[in-house]
Amino acid sequence: MDNIVITGTGIISSLGAGKEETLKRLRSGQKVIGPIQHIRTKHSYLPAGEVEYSDEQLKELIQYHDDKGIITRTSLLARVALKEALEEARLNGTSGQRIVLISGNTVGGMEKSEQYYHDFLNNNSRNEYIAMHDCGACTDVIAKEFDGHFSLITTISTACSSAANAIILGANILKEDRADIVVVGGTECISKFHLNGFNTLMILDKEPCRPFDAERHGLNLGEGAAYLVMEKEGTARRRNVQPVCKLSGYGNACDAFHQTATSPNGQGAFLAMSKALESSGLKPEDIDYINAHGTGTGNNDECEGIAMMRVFGDKMPPVSSTKSYTGHTTSAAGGVESVISILALTHRFIPANLGYQTPIEGHNFKPVDHVIENVSLKHILTNSFGFGGNDSSCIFSVIETESPNNPDNRKVQPCYIQSAAHISIQQPITDDWFLKPILPAQAYNESLEPDYSKYFSPMAARRMGRLLKRSVATAVEALGQNEVPDAIITGTGLGCIANTEKFLSAMIDNDEDFLQPTYFMQSTHNTISSQVAQHLKCHGYNCTYSHRGTSFDSSLFDAFLQMHSGDIRSALVGGHDEMTPNYFKMLGKIGYWKDGDISPDTLKKADSQGALSGSCSLNMLLTDHANPDTLCKIEGMEMLYEPTIHDLKAAACRMLQQAGLTVQDLDAVVSGLSGDRDNDAVYNSFTEQLCPEKPVIWYKHIFGESFCASAFGVYAGALCLRHNTIPAHLLYHTSGDISGVKHILVHNHFHNKDHSLILISSCSY
Amino acid sequence: MEELILELKKEIIDVLNLEGMTPADIDENAPLFGEGLGLDSIDALELIVLMEKNYGIKLANANEGKEIFKSVRVMAEYIKEHRTK
Repeated sequence: MDNIVITGTGIISSLGAGKEETLKRLRSGQKVIGPIQHIRTKHSYLPAGEVEYSDEQLKELIQYHDDKGIITRTSLLARVALKEALEEARLNGTSGQRIVLISGNTVGGMEKSEQYYHDFLNNNSRNEYIAMHDCGACTDVIAKEFDGHFSLITTISTACSSAANAIILGANILKEDRADIVVVGGTECISKFHLNGFNTLMILDKEPCRPFDAERHGLNLGEGAAYLVMEKEGTARRRNVQPVCKLSGYGNACDAFHQTATSPNGQGAFLAMSKALESSGLKPEDIDYINAHGTGTGNNDECEGIAMMRVFGDKMPPVSSTKSYTGHTTSAAGGVESVISILALTHRFIPANLGYQTPIEGHNFKPVDHVIENVSLKHILTNSFGFGGNDSSCIFSVIETESPNNPDNRKVQPCYIQSAAHISIQQPITDDWFLKPILPAQAYNESLEPDYSKYFSPMAARRMGRLLKRSVATAVEALGQNEVPDAIITGTGLGCIANTEKFLSAMIDNDEDFLQPTYFMQSTHNTISSQVAQHLKCHGYNCTYSHRGTSFDSSLFDAFLQMHSGDIRSALVGGHDEMTPNYFKMLGKIGYWKDGDISPDTLKKADSQGALSGSCSLNMLLTDHANPDTLCKIEGMEMLYEPTIHDLKAAACRMLQQAGLTVQDLDAVVSGLSGDRDNDAVYNSFTEQLCPEKPVIWYKHIFGESFCASAFGVYAGALCLRHNTIPAHLLYHTSGDISGVKHILVHNHFHNKDHSLILISSCSY
Repeated sequence: MEELILELKKEIIDVLNLEGMTPADIDENAPLFGEGLGLDSIDALELIVLMEKNYGIKLANANEGKEIFKSVRVMAEYIKEHRTK
C-alpha cells in the first residue's frame, strides 16, 4: 500500500500555542508545569500543565465570536490546534475530497456540567449546556473550525490513549480507501471532575512530576489538543503538498488486567509496541527514540519500563517522557506526544525527561535527562496507554526511509453477524421481543435485568455498576461457545452515567472531600470495553466510541473495516447506554422525551418533539465465516456527516451496487423512527427518496431512544433475515407479517448530523 | 475493640459493595488483601476514604495503607489510636 504521510500538524499545551512556541520551550528544557489557574478547586496546590491562555484568549486566537454559539474549553483548545494543522496541510474550502475528522476526548463538556449540574436539575438557566455534555457534542463543535465539509466525524474515548487510537482508526480508514484525507487527534481541558478523580486514586504528585525516577510520586494533570492531517503519499503528491513525515506503524492491544493498574510485566504495552513494530516491518534496533507514556506514577513507569525492556532488550533506544513538560494531557496525550515526536524527528533533537535523577530498580535504562540536539532520527515510537489497559503505540518515520515491509495485504474478507445478546427494556437476553414485545407504558423505562450470578461472583461484581454488569453478561451470551474474539469494540454515548453522577454530585455536595475512586473509574467511557476484555481475557484490539447517536455505528464501522481488510477475523461489537432519573430529567428539558400516551399508534401520528426513553446494552459477535446459526451477513457500511438526502441516496446506491444489488433487491429499510417529529422527517424523507414502496421496519417503539439505540436497529434487521420474516409489530406502515426477506438496509441518524447506512443480507439467499 | 471491629466490618461490606456478605464472613484476623478476602489496590483507596470520612484519619499516600490494612483487627487498632472523630 501507498505510504501514509502526515502533511500537517497542530498543537496547544502548556508548552504554548502552535509548533513554534512548543519547539522553543521544548528545546530550552525549561519547566512549564505550574500552579492551577483556570479552575476553582481546593486542590489548587497541585501543579498542572495548564494552557496559559484563558477561554477568551483562545477565542481570540481563532477569531471565535460568541454569536457562533456556546463552546467549551475542550473544543476551543481543539480548534486552535486543528486550525494550525489544516493550514499547514493547505486544507480549506471544498475540494471534492473525502475528509474525515476523528477526535478523542473523555471530559467532553464536564468542565461546564460540573459548574451547572444543579442548574441542569433545578432550573432552566443553563439548559443550553446540557446538550454539550457528551464527548460527541465537542467533536461536532470542533468540526466547524474547518471551512470545508468533513464527510464523516466521530469521537474516540479510550481515556489517555484516545488520540493515539484516533490515529489508528484514521490509518485504517485510509487503508480501506474510505477517505482521501483524515484529520486525527485529541483534546482535553482540565476539569475539576477528573482532577478530583485522579486525586482519589492518589496518583497526583504535589511536585512537578518525575517520570521514570525511583522517587516519583505520580502525575501532574495537563491539558491541550493536537491534530495530525494524514493522507496517502499519492494524494499529497496530487495536492502538491509536502509531507512532513510518515506513519510507518501502529498497534493497539489491551492489557486486560485491571480497571486502573497495569499488569506487572506490562503485557498490553508489550503487545502494542510489538504490533506497531510488526506493522511497520521495522526491527527494535531501528527505533531511534521512544517518546514514552511515562506518566510519573509508580505503576505505569515501572511496568512500561519492563515492557520496553521486553521489546528492546539491552538495545534500548533513548527514552524520555515529555509529560514532564506538558503534564498528562489525558485524551489529547497521544496527539500532543505524536506532534512532539514529529517535531523531534524533523528538527533532529531528543526532548528531555525533566526531573529524573535515580533509576528505577530493575530497569536497565536511564531516560534522557537533558535535551540532545543534532541527532539523526529516522524512526520514533510513541506510547499512549489508557485506563483499563487500552494501550496503543505509533511509529513515525522520516519520509526518506525505505518502508521495509509494507505489503498490500488487503484480502477483502466477508463479515457476518454470528450472534447477539441484549439487556434492555425488553425481556433480557432472549429474542422474545421479536414475536412478543413488551410495549412500554411510559416515557421513562428501566432495563429488565437477568440473574447476574451465573455470569460473575459477587466479589467480582463489587465494582461493577449496572451498565458494566449488563455489558459483561451480554458479551458472555453473544460469545457463547466461540473463541475469544480478535477485537472488542464498544460504543457508548455517555458511559456509566449513574456512577458519573454519583461522583459529580458528591464532589459538589461534599466540597471535593471523601470522593470514591470506584465511581470515578467507571466514569471513563472505556471502562466498559476494558471490563469486557478483562472478563474474557482478550488482549486484542480494544476501542471505545462516544459519538452520541452513532456511537454503536462507529464501533461497527471500525470492526467492519478491520474485518474487511483481514486484520481481524472476529470482533465483539457493543452498544451500551443506561438512563438515570436525573439524566432523563435533563434531556427532557431539551426536548428528548414525549409526555402522555406513548403507544405505537400515538407515536406514529405524533406531531411533536421527543421519543420514549430506553436503555441499551447489546453485544454482537462478528465473524469472517458463516455457519447454520449465523444471523446475517454485513454487505456494506457507510457513515456520513451532515449529508444531503441526495448524498445519502448516492451512498446507499453505491453500497448496493458494490454488493451486486439494486434498490429493487431491498426487502425493507430499518429506520430509527421514534415519534420525534424532526428526526422522523429525516428518516421519512430518505426512504421516500430511495424506495418509497418498500416496507419500513421500526424498533424504537419497543426499545426506546438512547444514544446506542441503533444497535437494536441492526439486531431487528438481523433477526428478520434469520427468520426470513418481518413480524407485523415491527412494520411501520403495513399491517400483516411479511415473509421472504433477503436484503435489508439499516438507516440511523442523530439530529440529521451523523448518519449511518448498513446493508445486511440473509446468509441463505 | 470488638464493637469497633464489628462496626468496621459492616462499613467495609457497605463501602466495598460486598454483596451477600455478613460481618461473620470476614475473619478479623485474616489478611484483607491477596490470600484472605482478596481485595486490591482500589479497595485500599476506598478504605482510605472510609477512614477519613468516618474516623477523621487522613493518609498522605496509599503505601501507608499496606501496614494498616493487614487485617480488620490491625485496622481497628490503628483507628482506635488515631481517630479524631
